[in-house]
Amino acid sequence: MARSTSISTSTDTSGPALPPEAWYTALSSFEGMGPATLRRVIDEHPRPEDGWQAVLARRVTPAPGVVALTRQRTETLVTAWAAKAASFDVAGYWRRHAEAGVGVLLRGTAAYPEVFLDDPDPPALLFHRGDPDVVVGTRVAIVGTRDCTRYGYDLAFELARDLSAAGISVVSGLALGIDSAAHAGALDADLAPPIAVVGSGLDVIYPRRNGPLWRRVAAAGVVLSEYPLGVAATAWHFPARNRLIAAIADVVVVVESHGKGGALLTVDEAERRGRPVMAVPGPVRSPASKGCNDLLADNRPVAVVRDVADVLVAVGLQSRAHRRATERRQRPSTADQAVLDAMGWQPATLDHLLLRTSLSVPELASALVRLESCGWVSPRGGWYERVAKPGG
Amino acid sequence: MLATIASATLLGVTGTPVRVEVHVSSGIPGFSIVGLPDASCREARDRVRAAVLSSKLDWPSRRVTVNLAPSGVRKAGAGLDLAIAIGLLVADEQIPAEVVAAVGFIGELGLDGSIRPVAGALPLVDALDVESVVLAPGSAVEAQLVGRHVIRAASSLTELLASLTGDEPWPALPSPDDLPPQPDPPDLADVRGHGLPRFALEVAAAGGHHLLMTGPPGSGKTMLAQRLPGLLPTLDHDDALETTRVHSAAGLALPPGGLVRQPPFRAPHHGASSVAIVGGGGAHMQPGEISIATNGVLFLDELAEFHVDVLDSLRQPLEEGVVRVARASHRTTFPARFQLIGAMNPCPCGDGGSPGGCRCSEHALARYVRRLSGPLVDRFDLRVAVTRPDPHHVVGGLPGEASAAVAARVLMARARAAERGVRCNAQLSSADLERHAPLAPDAADRLEVLLRDNRLSARGLQRVRRVALTLADLADEPPPLRSGHLDTAIGLRSEPMARALRLAG
Repeated sequence: MARSTSISTSTDTSGPALPPEAWYTALSSFEGMGPATLRRVIDEHPRPEDGWQAVLARRVTPAPGVVALTRQRTETLVTAWAAKAASFDVAGYWRRHAEAGVGVLLRGTAAYPEVFLDDPDPPALLFHRGDPDVVVGTRVAIVGTRDCTRYGYDLAFELARDLSAAGISVVSGLALGIDSAAHAGALDADLAPPIAVVGSGLDVIYPRRNGPLWRRVAAAGVVLSEYPLGVAATAWHFPARNRLIAAIADVVVVVESHGKGGALLTVDEAERRGRPVMAVPGPVRSPASKGCNDLLADNRPVAVVRDVADVLVAVGLQSRAHRRATERRQRPSTADQAVLDAMGWQPATLDHLLLRTSLSVPELASALVRLESCGWVSPRGGWYERVAKPGG
Repeated sequence: MLATIASATLLGVTGTPVRVEVHVSSGIPGFSIVGLPDASCREARDRVRAAVLSSKLDWPSRRVTVNLAPSGVRKAGAGLDLAIAIGLLVADEQIPAEVVAAVGFIGELGLDGSIRPVAGALPLVDALDVESVVLAPGSAVEAQLVGRHVIRAASSLTELLASLTGDEPWPALPSPDDLPPQPDPPDLADVRGHGLPRFALEVAAAGGHHLLMTGPPGSGKTMLAQRLPGLLPTLDHDDALETTRVHSAAGLALPPGGLVRQPPFRAPHHGASSVAIVGGGGAHMQPGEISIATNGVLFLDELAEFHVDVLDSLRQPLEEGVVRVARASHRTTFPARFQLIGAMNPCPCGDGGSPGGCRCSEHALARYVRRLSGPLVDRFDLRVAVTRPDPHHVVGGLPGEASAAVAARVLMARARAAERGVRCNAQLSSADLERHAPLAPDAADRLEVLLRDNRLSARGLQRVRRVALTLADLADEPPPLRSGHLDTAIGLRSEPMARALRLAG
């Protein structure tokens, strides 16, 4: 695949020598200027300066979907765009991207990723930090809820780690919960480059807490975004981001999802593009697994994921022997092991454990503290979950 | 002619003696009160005049001046009414001066001449240095708690004058049995399941440790907290007197016998202002909820909903056991040795407790976490999660252990604390801990690991050690502390907040 458009860092950018990407980058920073609108501007005006003039002259109207999403009237948007274009420092903004080391891929150029060429709703521009050429080979998206359980977190981590070890790039959205687990797992194996698609400008790290993970993904793989620098993450960016995840992936795996959630939007987008969808079943009483269990129970072509082999079969790869994590945790004492056995693999409260063991409250409380400090259980608001393997 | 009558006014929870000087002379008829009376005190003019006339006594048609000495102290409330009326009658020579020598008068007057009880009778009487004190019958029981004076009660001015001049014997004092009995505190046997919070409640009662319960709405946090007073030992005489003094000053109803023997339980609403919680306010400095809860329990339900300044103002009293309230004109100290019990939801949506149940946004969680300052959370030695009880426990489960059985163990643990010279282990200083809570070799090793893994800070260590000592006391195991005690103490001190809620990458 061709290299990404090189950006001139020379100071002489005030002249007419600006590349087309500079104009479109500026346009894409306008609120409500989505991919559909931008594609139309590009298609209708062969010269980018003409497109810019059209916006200035208020001849560019937003795509119908945008009006619904941003809850703004067409008039308001058109006026706001014209006002913004009138005072916009295109060259300065373009220089900012160059200085930040953010690359730009324009639809229709050779550098544009092949995977979006026949997409029903392709991005007009893609911004990237890291190497965009890693979007080749087999890719599996691992998506799910931000508010996951230990069960979901561990499964996402292990699936991503084992997929990466098998040479498959893991795609996710750098959100908290399952997304974080997926990226962390892929980085743990460090074999296939991880791919992230985010819903904000590449200098706006959201959620803030994921900053270190964000940088590690960019260093080992690529972080992609439809949004230029400085654009904040707003609610309607995330469904758009999810469509890109579905478009990039060969298979979409949902690890944990509530009855409603962004992961289910990714599933819809994947089905629209004919991408196979797989889901990890969960306890039927767990609200965090409801979306997954519903996907599997409904009459939809969703395959079940029990372990990494199921995914490897789905992407057509032979299951390769992957390394097993060695157990490094200190073995619990016999009495503490009995508590661990009584816990099983379902979240349990101390009251549940009291019934299942013959221990007193102080004995049980001290056993749980010891198990937690050695990494065998994970407490959360009065509930305890058994930890299968260290990691994450 | 001049008359001087002994009475007292309330400043905070202590009484200040006041000499009521009444001067009746010829001149333009009039009635004025000087000596820093507040509004309710100035209104005494009208009440006293009506009461005197209603009692078929003469109102002097001369010039009447009342001075409340010392005139630098603000006088508040209607408690000086009776003393003003008696002073006026003496000065007008309607009653002889001898009969009121060495007698103090405290009471509010009704327009019909009746004598009414006032708040703070106990501290007011305590401030007086006279042989006998006359009050309304409703104040007599608590006035007797002082024990230094002969207490007289009269229900009206007419009755009082008859007894004062010796025409009639003094009316009998009301018997404490006339007051309605207090209901029993709720029993722990009603609580089913809740193994951990029950145990935490027992440890809190035994060691006097502050307790924070976190759990989803309806999980039973309030029900549990209400059962703590039933586990606490009754107050000894000094503590009971201290609490009664505050309750009296705050105008609260006192139990039969006048002395507050049961540890108080106060549960202010989360909308409460800083003054309502800490104390202060107008001219005569009302005690706040933390003082009313002294030697008892202050229960703050929905802890995270309290105003941030209110919560932060708790930190100093929690350390010192007293609260110093200062205003421009005067300052006072209230006792505030309370046990703090907090209850809160794990997150704004309330369902953060159960795995994968929380639907809060990152932003909402962060804002919720900020509401509780770290230093305040740190004051809670015990922090437990309360989960919604299993349906099997609620329906058809065995009733829990009764309060009486738990209270017996608590009493035993408190006895051990008393041997160390404190009421409960929470009051042990760091030096005391070194002396009374030595560590067994396995416990010392365990502590080293915990400190190295950053599971404990040096300050947290002292708190864990205090709780571990209480655990040993409850189990009737004399120190040294073993590692199991430390582990349990740490298990009772889990991260309470939404902080632990999300699993980050």
